[in-house]
Amino acid sequence: MSHEVEILLVEDSPEDAELTMRTLRRNKLANVVQVAEDGAEALDFLFCRGAHKERTFSHPPKLVLLDLKLPKVDGLEVLRAIRADARTKAIPVVILTSSKEQKDLIKGYNLGVSAYVQKPVDFEQFSEAIRQIGMFWMLINQPAPPEAFVANKAHGA
Amino acid sequence: MTSSIKLIAACALIVLACIGALSFWSEVRNDEDREWVRHTYLVVGKLQTVRIDITQAETGQRGFMLTGQDRYLKLYGAGVNQVRQDMTELRDLTSDNSRQQEAIQRLDPLIAARLAELGDGIEVRKRSGLLAGVEAVTRANNGEKWMGQIAAQIGEMRQTETQLLSRRLDTAAASARKIKVVIVCGNALAILILVVAGFVIHRETSRRNRAEQNLKHVNERLERRTADLSETNIELESFAYSVAHDLRAPLRHIAGYSNVLVQDYGPQLDEEGLRYLGKIGDGAQEMGRLVDDLLSLSKIGRQQLALQKTPLDSILRQVVEDFAPECSGREVEWRIGALSSADCDPALMKQVFANLVSNALKYTRKREHAVIQVGQTKQNNERVIFVRDNGVGFDMQYVGKLFGVFQRLHKARDFEGTGVGLAIVQRIIRKHGGRIWAEAQLDQGATFFFTVGLPENNTSKKPEFPVTEEEMHVARS
Repeated sequence: MSHEVEILLVEDSPEDAELTMRTLRRNKLANVVQVAEDGAEALDFLFCRGAHKERTFSHPPKLVLLDLKLPKVDGLEVLRAIRADARTKAIPVVILTSSKEQKDLIKGYNLGVSAYVQKPVDFEQFSEAIRQIGMFWMLINQPAPPEAFVANKAHGA
Repeated sequence: MTSSIKLIAACALIVLACIGALSFWSEVRNDEDREWVRHTYLVVGKLQTVRIDITQAETGQRGFMLTGQDRYLKLYGAGVNQVRQDMTELRDLTSDNSRQQEAIQRLDPLIAARLAELGDGIEVRKRSGLLAGVEAVTRANNGEKWMGQIAAQIGEMRQTETQLLSRRLDTAAASARKIKVVIVCGNALAILILVVAGFVIHRETSRRNRAEQNLKHVNERLERRTADLSETNIELESFAYSVAHDLRAPLRHIAGYSNVLVQDYGPQLDEEGLRYLGKIGDGAQEMGRLVDDLLSLSKIGRQQLALQKTPLDSILRQVVEDFAPECSGREVEWRIGALSSADCDPALMKQVFANLVSNALKYTRKREHAVIQVGQTKQNNERVIFVRDNGVGFDMQYVGKLFGVFQRLHKARDFEGTGVGLAIVQRIIRKHGGRIWAEAQLDQGATFFFTVGLPENNTSKKPEFPVTEEEMHVARS
């Protein structure tokens, strides 16, 4: 990989993934976007195992865009795993989902999600939401310094 | 059923009370009879004593006549006194019986005569000595005659008394027999009544048991049904969740890709092609709204009410402020009366006001000067809140469809909407145990009324409605 992955897009719908990528691209926000089509793949990527065992923890993604309803391991499980591990817990995770269910919101925030966005049906609103999320987390937000990933340091990788 | 048991119990009680009274009365009668027997024996005994007394007097007299000794004179005197005393007692004893009194009347002179004769003998003996006395007694020689008559009279009186006793005893025995019969029959009747009562109670108890059993079955069925229903509810919930997620995604794709098509290939399409693509996008959006509204409707159905004393005034103020952007460029006159607090879920009540106010704003859109009035009034001792507008109104003929899901009384071309807003309002009001209804006239505006519970501790100090028309005017243009 010539570039470090900046955004991990966890999305099982290829259409949603394509439309999201398109928006990010058109706003020049997605130099390198990694798409994971299910929760297990997302965890493999984040924890550098399976197909992604070549990766290291030293360059965590700047943002994880996480759908909730996913095959194999669902979004909230992925979130729990990210927050439970010192090597990944400081990664900003934005839930991007169709669901506005109260229980999902509660679980998401209790698990420490950074933001929760419902995908609008209207494409213009959808694009605008993606654009603003990208702008904020990639450009405005100060990413966590490596020291924030305590275990990362301990591994000395 | 219960009243018949009461009746039977009352009957049994009355019968038993009668038997008790009868037994008591019979016991009293028995005592009286015993008293009569005793009385008769007293009379008979007294009669006997009278004879003995006379004999004693005779014995004393005879002794004195023969010996001239004073001790015989004393015996004689005691006998005479005894006779008089016993006769007095006899008169008292038979005072209630005229026949015996008459007999005494006859007996008295006989005794008096005999005693006088004895006295005469003693006087002669005292005066003239033994021989003169014997001679006088012999001369008179009436002793046997008097004593015969006295004995006969006493015998008659004894017989009378004995007959009287036997008659009394016969009568008493007859009435005692009757009483016995009555007591036996009465007891039998009481037992019968109690048996009937027992039977009726048994029947009633088993009927109740059966009813209870039935109720238990019904309850069990109800519980099963409730369990089934809540399972169905959970299924529905997951269905709604799927609808939210799975249905919205393809809609988003339709909207998204038609948009992408316009962006990327727009220049290659003619006006008609672009219009079709626009329709596809609009359709997807419309369906997205429908799905969202349906979800919020089903969400209210599942939601638990968080009841608390809620100041409706401030809720309404927030709602009106939230709608300020929609009022820009319009002339809207708000007439807002004082609202007392309610016992309700504040978030849901806010939605009620929001939906009603939103409707009022929507349907007055074509008015140059929109008037929206919110206040409370009193109907049949109940606080009623109303939201009134001077908008296009509706035909009361269709009022039954007003609160139905997806029911619309206006064309989508004239007024946008999914037809879920009022259904949501109705569901919230009903969940609070209140009622909602509407009155309108075509082109004359509409009024929505609803009731919602007053806070309990507040009802006493609540004479502040009907509304004092203390209105706050917020005109926006």
